[in-house]
Order: sequence, then structure tokens, then C-alpha cells
Amino acid sequence: MSLTDRIAQGLESGWKVTDGATLTQDLVTEADVVIVGTGAGGGTTAEILARSGLSVILVEDGRLYYQKDFKMDELTSYANLYQEGMSRTTKDGAISVLQGRCVGGSTTVNWTSSFRTPDATLNYWSKHFGLEELTPEAMAPWFSGRETRHSMSPWETAPNLNNDILRQGCEKLGFSWQIIPRNVKGCWNLGYCGVGCPTNAKQGALLTTIPGALDHNARLFHSLRAERLIMKQDRIDALQASAIASDGVTPTGINVTLKARHFVVAASAIGSPGLLLRSGLPDPYERVGKRSFIHPVNASVAQMPKLVDPFYGAPQSIYSDEFNFRNGVDGEVGYKLEVPPLHPAMSAGVVPGHGSAQAENLARLPWMQSIIALLRDGFHQNSPGGTVSLRDDGSPVLDYPVTDYLWEGLRNAFYTMAEIQFAAGAERVRLMHLDSDWYSNWSDARAAIDGFSMEPHRVRLFTAHQMGGCGMGRNPEESVVNGFGEHHHISNLSVHDASVFPTSIGANPQLSVYALAARNSTRLAQQLKA
Amino acid sequence: MTGSALTRALTGLDNRDKQNKSDQYMTPHTTLSENQRTSTLDRRSFLRTGLGGALFLGTVSITAGLSGCATAPAGRLGAIDTRMDARYQFRFLTTDDIDLFEALLPAILGPALPEEPNTRRMAIASTIERIDAGIHKFGPANQKELRRLCDLLNFGLTRVSIARVWPSWPDATREQADAFLKRWRSSRIGLFNNGYMALTKISNVAFYGYQENWHLSGYPGPPEWAVRALPQFRNA
Repeated sequence: MSLTDRIAQGLESGWKVTDGATLTQDLVTEADVVIVGTGAGGGTTAEILARSGLSVILVEDGRLYYQKDFKMDELTSYANLYQEGMSRTTKDGAISVLQGRCVGGSTTVNWTSSFRTPDATLNYWSKHFGLEELTPEAMAPWFSGRETRHSMSPWETAPNLNNDILRQGCEKLGFSWQIIPRNVKGCWNLGYCGVGCPTNAKQGALLTTIPGALDHNARLFHSLRAERLIMKQDRIDALQASAIASDGVTPTGINVTLKARHFVVAASAIGSPGLLLRSGLPDPYERVGKRSFIHPVNASVAQMPKLVDPFYGAPQSIYSDEFNFRNGVDGEVGYKLEVPPLHPAMSAGVVPGHGSAQAENLARLPWMQSIIALLRDGFHQNSPGGTVSLRDDGSPVLDYPVTDYLWEGLRNAFYTMAEIQFAAGAERVRLMHLDSDWYSNWSDARAAIDGFSMEPHRVRLFTAHQMGGCGMGRNPEESVVNGFGEHHHISNLSVHDASVFPTSIGANPQLSVYALAARNSTRLAQQLKA
Repeated sequence: MTGSALTRALTGLDNRDKQNKSDQYMTPHTTLSENQRTSTLDRRSFLRTGLGGALFLGTVSITAGLSGCATAPAGRLGAIDTRMDARYQFRFLTTDDIDLFEALLPAILGPALPEEPNTRRMAIASTIERIDAGIHKFGPANQKELRRLCDLLNFGLTRVSIARVWPSWPDATREQADAFLKRWRSSRIGLFNNGYMALTKISNVAFYGYQENWHLSGYPGPPEWAVRALPQFRNA
């Protein structure tokens, strides 16, 4: 092997990693802290606590995949690295939910965009949720610390054409655009971030905080599903978990009981409320699972005169915030503009169609360019978010009604994306809506968008950013945890993931999760060591 | 991706409905307004399809079983009586589901499928296997929704009344399959749109995502220089 793989080396050196699928009998074990989830929040927490000398157990529902498994293949990766084999949707099936499920969580499959929480968002939280301690000034050192830890910096290589078309269109129309900071080290600019980085360049949890924690004696169970937290009097006594077979879906029937002094839940904005609900933990004001946000995403594709090869190159390197805070933080809904990578399966899933028309659409993939708009939900009374609840089998599901306020924003985003693509020289543009044809000029596209019926299913909607559901705030009647992620009603329980955000972020959330988890874990370590 | 809302509303047996019914005794006002936004609209749209028997439809899966529709995964199929790779073990799709996808794939994939009969059969068969393998990874909750959707399409009475496909799937022509897809796509009933998306998305992803079909979307695959340089390919 010419390259050195951090995970392969660690496993060889004796890291305490247990594949739940290999367990043959029930097990009871304990540590100072049990952490549920190994994504941005869980990984950060594990490393900080383990480095402080505390004993830590990490629990991951998905499996441990690393370089040897990352072969730039969509079908394998979507089946193994994403929640519900990439079939997760909101309750009514109208919004596709892209979310990681593996060691490293979504940071193993994200497109590496690394933004600080916008000042406007932090200030809004301070004003509306009593989170005065989370000012941009107070958070700055935490962002900067995590930017260093995850090697985040603006992408210095030229953007691929897919991204550059967003830049060109914005230039022509006088819209602002910027270079995206990415969490990579020695990136080969291949374009496969979404299927597991094949070169170990991406500095997600998998290659930073998880190895950091395991180097400091943490123990990792993967293929182990957190079923419920068990209370004894007013504290959590244990986590009950069940092992999953190596296919990643079939329970083996083996149960694991994990005891600890403190429990940290970092199982995502769908998984964390799900675990709290399944556990029947005190929730006197019924806040768990409420105010769930998703940065609703709609998309537009363009046929360009020149080869775009949208499957190659850093997937996201250019963005525009021209429309993100244009109407103030809490006015008409704002949206961030970015670009998605287009590989064959992704494109076949995003572009709706069948028969000859679909075959022709996909045959032109090398000339295809796409823009996505990410709506900043949760800052307005007409954007109260969705609700996570439990299905009959105990699994969590997100119900996300799209309000008229959001539909209006989605329609505006359709106009913006089509206008940018035509300004950048698109020959034809098609909006991701069942009513949309290909349009060969901006005025035809605009007229068509005027008439689009903005309805679930007809508008193709996506989310790659799940937030909220265990919202933080000063007032226990309106939130689940306080500004340090500490549960309002249970003293030995914290929540350290995107579920604590009281609104959406208004930018790709990984750095927001890393920074808040680092801050809150540093405090937790001090408390537990005292 | 699944036909969740479709099947839920058609069967009238989903959790939200049950919840609303019990809630009505406690908080009639909230429930009514919720209903106006969601269930009632779905119900009303559904009634427009001309079939009022929501409760009856809830029993489709059971009736389908009683009336001889296959309800168990097809498992390992003999190579003689099917077109399938006898080594492949089906985990989700039943023999009826396989018939369904054999009828739908020519309409969904259109000219992307090869013309030559043997190659074409193989392409369809391997796509159906990958559809099954993909669904296995969806997990139980989404499998349950897809099961309802497949049963609805396979059960004669609902195939005719809901999908408006008169012949059974093995006898349906490509034109009939295409007309069905177009009806569900252009329908103003969101639930049918959802069913259309579930069927086409599962099929398109399993087909175009497969290495042997990459050329159909002009995708050359991962850059060769990178494949040559990376250890995970060398050991394979």
C-alpha cells in the first residue's frame, strides 16, 4: 500500500473497535460517558472527552467503512453509507432526505462545504431563544479551532465548470458569489466526496476526531443500534442497544447494555429526537421532535454548449449568498445557491422522467449543469418546521409540511436559478418540477415558472441538512436543552448534534455542529473531571 | 422514494389517521384543522378517482394473498422457468413484483434498453435484481410502503381501478405501461405523482447507476489514473 490509511493502521495497532455484527452473546459494559452517534457532534465530543482522560464508549448504528471500501461507486455507497439505503423521505414521501449512516455520519459523505454559522443566525438565536452567550464573538474561537482541526480553508484550485457556471451567471447578473471553504488535506479534486472520499483527503469525523478518540482509549461499537435510554430515578442509568448484522439492516437479536455516568446523544436531527421519544424521557412541554428544519432544496438543470463533466472535480467550490439574507433575517424566505455533483445514479434520481425523454436527458449528462437553492427555514412564524415522530416499529420519521411561505421562496428560487443558467450561456434549462419542460430562453422559462403549481411531489424537493428537534433555548417550555446542550430535565444527559439548532443555519451545517460540540464538550469534560 | 403517501391514503390505515380519530375525542378543533390541511384533501382527491372503498382497499394485501398473488420474496428462482440469474437470491420482490417490473422497465427505460432480445432480457433481469438488492437496504419501514404499492398494482381489482391497466402485467404492452406511467405522472393527485416517482426513481437509479450502463449517460467512470494510483483498487 503506497498510501497510509489512518483507520487500517489504528485497527492494527489495537484500537478498541467492536463490530456489533460479530457479537455472539449479550454484553454489559460501562464507561464514564456513552456517546450515541459518530458524526460531526459525536466524534468531536468523543475526542475531547477521551483526551481529557475520561473513558468513552461510542455507539454507531451504521457500519465502519473506510478507504478500502471507498471505490467511487454510487450504488454501493448509497446502499451502505446513507440512511435507509438512500430511500429516506419525509413522511408523505415528498422530500428526499440525504443523510449519512456510517462511522463519521454525514461527514463521511458530505460535499465538504465548511461555513461558520452566519452572524445573523447567531444574533437571531440570542434575541429569540435566550442564547445570549452564543454571540459571533464568543463563538469565533470555537469556529477557528475547528477550522484548524478539520483543515478547512477556501478552495484554491480552480472550480470545475459545474461550479464556475454559477460564478459566471452571478457575475453577468451582478449577484455576489464566493469561494467555498472545504475540509480537505491533499485533495485530488476527483469529485467523489458524496460516496466516501477515496483518497483520505476529506477531514471529516472519520479521519480526525474518531481516530483521535480511539487513540485515547475510547471504545467504538458500530453496527449497534441505540434502542432506548433507561432511567433510574431522575438520571439515565443505561443505554440499551441491539446489534445489526453485516448487511446493515437485519437485527441479530444480540443486546448490549451500556452504563455510564453521563450520556451524550448525537444521533442527528432525526435520530436524536427519535431516541428521546422511544425512551419516553421527561418532556413536560412536548418539545422533543418539534421545530425540525431541513433547508428545503429545489433544483434546476441546464444543458450547456460546452462539456461540463459535472461528475468530476470538487463538487462544491462556489456559492452565492445574494438571496440568503436579502430580506433581512426574518423576512421573505432567503436561499443560498450552490451546485450539486451529477453522477449517473444521482442524476437519474434527481431528474424526473421515463422513456425516450429520460434516456435523452441522461445521454446529455456530460453537458449538464445544475444549481440548487437551500432555503433558510425556521426564521419566520410561517416557517415553524416539521415534526419527528415514531413509526409503529419505533423508527423515527420526519413530517415536514411545506408552507405557502416556503412555496413562494421555492418559486423565487426557480426564477433565480434559471436566470443564472441562461446568463451563463445555457442552451436549455429545465426546472426540477413535474410540469417543467426544457426551455430555450429565459422569458419562456419565466413564463412557465409563473404557471407552475407548487405542490408536494410535483416540485422535486430534497434535504441534505437536518436540524432541530431537540432545540436549545433558555426557556424549558420552548426547548429541550440549554445553550450548552444540557437536557433541561435530566442532569446526566446532553445533546451534541444539529438537533439542538433552534432554527436552520442558513449554510451547510457541519462547522456549526463541530464548533458547538467542541464548546459544549470542553465544558462537559471540566464538569466530569471535577 | 417510496410510495408511502400513496399507499397510506389509499388504504386509509395510516398512523396519522388513527391518531386523528382518537384525538377527535379530546381536541376536536385542532384535529379538524389538521384534517382540512391533510387527510381530508387526500381523501377527497381519492374519492374523485371513483373508488370510495378506502377500507376495502386496506385489505388488498390480505386479499391478494388469499387470491393467489405471490406474497413471499421470490428467493432463488430456477433459471429454467425465469429469465433470472439463478444465483441471485431475491429478498423482497415476489414473482408477481418481478412480472410488474418486467412490464414497467421497457416503458421506464425506453431506448436505453438494448434491442437484441437476449441482451435485452439480461439487462431487464439484472436491473430487477439490483432493484431488489437496493430495496433490501431500504430497511423495514420503507419496504412496508413499497409492499403496499406493489400489492396495489398486482392485485387485479386495484390494478384495473387505480392504475387503469386492464390486462395483467405479463400481458400488458409497453404502450399500456407507458400510458399508466404518464397518467400517474400528470395526475393532479399528489399520491399518484408519488407512486410514479417511486417506481421510476428506483428503476432509473438501479439502471443508470450500474457500471455496465454508465456509457448511456456519457459517464466514463472514475478517472483511470486515480484508480491506478489507489490501493483499494490494487487489492481488489
